[in-house]
Amino acid sequence: MLPLQLLVNGLVTGCALGVVAISFSLVYATTKIFHVAHAGVYTLAGYLAWSLSTHGVPSVLALLLAMAACTALGALIQTQLYARLERRHATHLVVLIASLGALAVMQNIIAAVYTPNILQFAVPWSSRMVAAGSIRLNYTQMLTIVLSLAAYAGTMLFAHRTILGKRIRAVAANPFLAEITRLEPRTVYVYVIAIASALVCLPGVLVPLDLGLQPYNGVTPLLTATIAMIAGGVGSISGAFVLSVAIAVVQNLSLLVIPGEWSIGVTFFIFVIFMLFRPTGLFAAR
Amino acid sequence: MDFLFSYIVLAEIYVLLGLSTNLLVGIVGIFSISQAAVFGVGAYIVAHFLMADLALSFIPSLAIAAAGCVALNVIVTLPSLRVSGDYFVVTSFGIQLLATAVFTNWTAGTGGANGLPGIPPPDVFGLPIETTGQYVLLCSAASALGCLAFWLIMGAPFGRLLRAIREDEIAVAAAGKNVLAAKVSAAALAGAFAGTAGGLYATFLSFIDPSSFDLDASILLLTMVVVGGARTLAGSIVGPFLLLALPQLLTLVDIPTTIAAAARQLLYGLLLIAFMLFRPQGLAGERL
Repeated sequence: MLPLQLLVNGLVTGCALGVVAISFSLVYATTKIFHVAHAGVYTLAGYLAWSLSTHGVPSVLALLLAMAACTALGALIQTQLYARLERRHATHLVVLIASLGALAVMQNIIAAVYTPNILQFAVPWSSRMVAAGSIRLNYTQMLTIVLSLAAYAGTMLFAHRTILGKRIRAVAANPFLAEITRLEPRTVYVYVIAIASALVCLPGVLVPLDLGLQPYNGVTPLLTATIAMIAGGVGSISGAFVLSVAIAVVQNLSLLVIPGEWSIGVTFFIFVIFMLFRPTGLFAAR
Repeated sequence: MDFLFSYIVLAEIYVLLGLSTNLLVGIVGIFSISQAAVFGVGAYIVAHFLMADLALSFIPSLAIAAAGCVALNVIVTLPSLRVSGDYFVVTSFGIQLLATAVFTNWTAGTGGANGLPGIPPPDVFGLPIETTGQYVLLCSAASALGCLAFWLIMGAPFGRLLRAIREDEIAVAAAGKNVLAAKVSAAALAGAFAGTAGGLYATFLSFIDPSSFDLDASILLLTMVVVGGARTLAGSIVGPFLLLALPQLLTLVDIPTTIAAAARQLLYGLLLIAFMLFRPQGLAGERL
């Protein structure tokens, strides 16, 4: 039952991708910054967890520590880079180039410290297999589904039920109005990038736990996630998550007819279709 | 002497690429991270026609490559007319990654990850170009032509139109100017520059592989434009010469060879951030 297995694999990849997409979407919808450096945070999370777990730190603690470090890193990028650029009235293009520079810096620090070769986690339970009928999944993949769905539900609750979540949505909806009603958009931007950076650690650690780590592996997931965000409608958390799952499923099922090394082509094809027929996305707000 | 010559040849090839990137990113304000992909297509087309069974000579091959890259760059840039800025970033990234996938996986056409060795040296109207000295002349001529074209365009009404589009596209359209035609022409010109650079690069090195045309290469091109200075001819010349000299400086510092490539890219990233923060106009450019 290869198609069924591919479908399940697609769901696993899609859930992980969905968390990348909602975290990117949070940043993009609020700050309007195309935060390319997010791919670097994603990659760094995996490497930090790898270092900690090879030094004998328990897996859960390693994940939490990686999250804490990435939260700080996200806040640092906002306060030291984006906020400074904004104070200088930098254009959109300038901010984008700076973000790309930050991505290059993070990726290459990782490549210099850990070598560009693939690294595998030495966590025995992670690859233990469970078979249900003809479908086989390992513990990491099941954990990915559970934790990603939890992260999605958590983000929805956070955005709609908490004061900070509402404040973030207010700033995203109208930064000018937020400014004059003392919602302090600049502080909110720091919170948003910090939260998004913590969130992206989840797929950043879980995906390499299954597939291994490489320093330049962050760009393709981020690109796919941004495509999902756009196809889902910018600003819609559910749209980003659902479309990530859909794209990953289509991509995995396409393996039946198209070899795996062309899967970026499949993703991109989906994007072109959306750009031509539904540029505002499926679940566009307002 | 040969070392200095090959530095000059490569720098001049990158001047052409710098002009191409500057035209799109600096002047029209289209963020493009896929110019290395277009550069690569030019290189592979020239290599293909020089090595085909019925081999063409260099100039026709270069012309085909330039024409191919014009078409490709127009197609690649067309979405920027339809989708707003940030969506085009995704398009541009996607095209770059897609091109790398094609260069790496289409083994029959590109030699795959192993690359394409044994590309014959060029000839100009029957005159063979073999020594590095002759290459310097050829590339100087090509880049001088490119610079001249860039300079003429910047002084012409068309150049002002392109700059106006960057400032306010709607105002330009309201003034009765054809924004579509102007953007397509700029993209075509940028494609011609990149395609020519690709052909020169392939024949000079006589070996090409996907690593010369990947995302890192596109970042390098962007760094060259940013460091040299956006929008000006001087910037497009200063950037490549400076940034190609930097790796030589890195060899003076004792870095293990295993991390040399990463250290180089790290430096480019730091330069991008530093220039954006402290000198967005680059060394010899205008404010981005």
